[in-house]
Amino acid sequence: MDYLANKYLRPRKIPSTACSGCGLGQVHKKTVKAIDELGLGVEDVVWGTGIGCAGRQTFATWKGDNFAGTHGRVYAIASGLRIALPPDKKIICTVGDGDSFGIGFLNLLHCARRNVDMTVVVCDNLGYMSTGGQYGWTTPLGVKTDSSPYGTYESNFMQEGQDVLNILKDAGATFLARHTSLQGQEAVESIKKAILNKGFSLVHVIYPCVTNFSDRALGTRKPIAMYNWIKERTYGLHDRVPENEMCFRTGIYHDASNTRQEFSARLLEFTREIQRRAR
Amino acid sequence: MKRYFDTGNRAITEGAILAGCKVFAGYPITPATEIAENMSRRLPEVGGYYVQAEDEMTGMHIAVGASLGGLKTMTATSGPGYILYADPYGWALGCEIPIVVVNAQRVGPVSGITGAPGQGEFYIARYPTHGGNAETIVLAPNSVQEAFSLTVEAFYLSERFRMPVTVLADQLVTDGWETLELPETREEIEKMGLRFKEREICRGPVFYPFTDQLDVPPVVMGHNTGGTCSDWTPTDEGYDTEEVEWAHKHSYRLINKVRNNKEVIRRYEEHFMDDDPDVVLVAYGSPSRVMISCVKKAREEGLKVGCIRPISLWPFLDDLYHRKTNYLVVELNYDGQLVREVQRCVPTGSNVHFFGKCGELPSVAEMLLQIKQILNGEPLVRSDNWEWEAW
Ligand code: SF4
Repeated sequence: MDYLANKYLRPRKIPSTACSGCGLGQVHKKTVKAIDELGLGVEDVVWGTGIGCAGRQTFATWKGDNFAGTHGRVYAIASGLRIALPPDKKIICTVGDGDSFGIGFLNLLHCARRNVDMTVVVCDNLGYMSTGGQYGWTTPLGVKTDSSPYGTYESNFMQEGQDVLNILKDAGATFLARHTSLQGQEAVESIKKAILNKGFSLVHVIYPCVTNFSDRALGTRKPIAMYNWIKERTYGLHDRVPENEMCFRTGIYHDASNTRQEFSARLLEFTREIQRRAR
Repeated sequence: MKRYFDTGNRAITEGAILAGCKVFAGYPITPATEIAENMSRRLPEVGGYYVQAEDEMTGMHIAVGASLGGLKTMTATSGPGYILYADPYGWALGCEIPIVVVNAQRVGPVSGITGAPGQGEFYIARYPTHGGNAETIVLAPNSVQEAFSLTVEAFYLSERFRMPVTVLADQLVTDGWETLELPETREEIEKMGLRFKEREICRGPVFYPFTDQLDVPPVVMGHNTGGTCSDWTPTDEGYDTEEVEWAHKHSYRLINKVRNNKEVIRRYEEHFMDDDPDVVLVAYGSPSRVMISCVKKAREEGLKVGCIRPISLWPFLDDLYHRKTNYLVVELNYDGQLVREVQRCVPTGSNVHFFGKCGELPSVAEMLLQIKQILNGEPLVRSDNWEWEAW
């Protein structure tokens, strides 16, 4: 990370205050690596964050411009910002699963509908972990957390037939992928594609929370146990999964990059046209 | 000068356009929908952008986001939407981002009556978000013409104080039709006393210094200034912190940039207040129009009555109520809100009375009757045995 950190991140914010052994840093690093491999500079990116472990630990780590919204609102703020920013500036948001698929979901859906040019990297620790460990919208069925001491009973957004990425696809998102933080370059490649899409991109990356999730769900805080737990359940998009097994299906779900006009470009064109007519 | 016969909604739109508003984001709601409609027509003509959001909260967040990108922005709503602004209002207050917010008050609580005037958000406009530790700025027009000029002023103040400013109107002001004069030349603009301030960009490295001073430029993204802003308590450089020392400094700035610069915001009007009136009427917004007519009528009848109309509601102008006398506060609500602040400010020995109506204006005759009761030392006249004085 040193080369990347020196080039792109603020020394006073790195290392972050995430728990030791946390997988968030892996997602953070993949995002910065993707930026670097695309040859983008500090000035090319405005970095947004939300609330939760992912938001708090990545806020103001970027050497350039940073903003952190209230819980779930970074997508709406970014939509407004998109109108004001020059089109070549990238908006990249690192947010949590609660921020994006829970409290911010309505805004996320409308960003997909509008195809607002931004890249949302959902750093998913499988629940609300910064508040101590409560279940969320991707917490696998039956898993114990502090608010599901008997195991979760609700269905979730990664289940067959109700995958959040399919919902976002139908809402109009133009690039969607899912990975785990334990995957390597393939995840970086997806984030690169997401950034290159002038439109709404979302990359969903599941990462291990070794402190809260692991403790309640697996009964241990040993990072290796949690890392293996995720690894064992990771499959490709077209792999055969044993029946009734909970899994993380990874790969590019949908790539319609640059096929549909982006929101702010459309708005600008529309305004120019009205101005021309008014003259 | 061009004269029109038009609504407060149109006036607010034209005020915003003149002030340089480039983005409007909001959600349709009676009686502020026409502001959105007018903006959707006018903004593209001047190279601006109209965005219809999925709800009011999002509307204001989009508008604040565009302001964070350096554009002047506005949103407009009525009570049910204003309450949903709590989240973005707080964010803009804390991050110190300029934006103008219009509230066309209607009858509450909840959805209440959509197309009738109310004044239920006097206190919500003061406390539009959670957490305290901030002052707010609120301006209240009572005519179509003033809806225009105060919208321009709201943009000016929001830039200087780098914060949201609420224009607290009511349904009669926004939906009402009146003469509207729009300036066309620089001289006419100057004659109207309109003030303007362009957006400046904070260049860092210290973003918001520990100071109450105005005209510190707000953080703007996209200029590679390394600007940072967040919902957290910021250090002077904008980093998030959990330390009380910084929370104290941040609050000091949010509170005192307003408190110590009240004179810049201060606006009010008084009538017949030079001879120590026996009764002083107080009202803001549309009921103040009736109040002023009523006081003139009372004077014709030889009664020593005066009136005060606060125009800048918050920060509250405590000193306007320094006389020891009888006060009659007239509001478009039944619970009494402004009256509580007046009661707080008057010298001991003063009598503060409340006359509330909602959904419709009180008449001159009704108000005059109350004045006479007060002068006779009798209880206010009630039509339905409701003990109104118990506010
Ligand atoms: S609580 Fe979990 S997700 Fe949050 S920083 Fe600690 S290990 Fe990471």
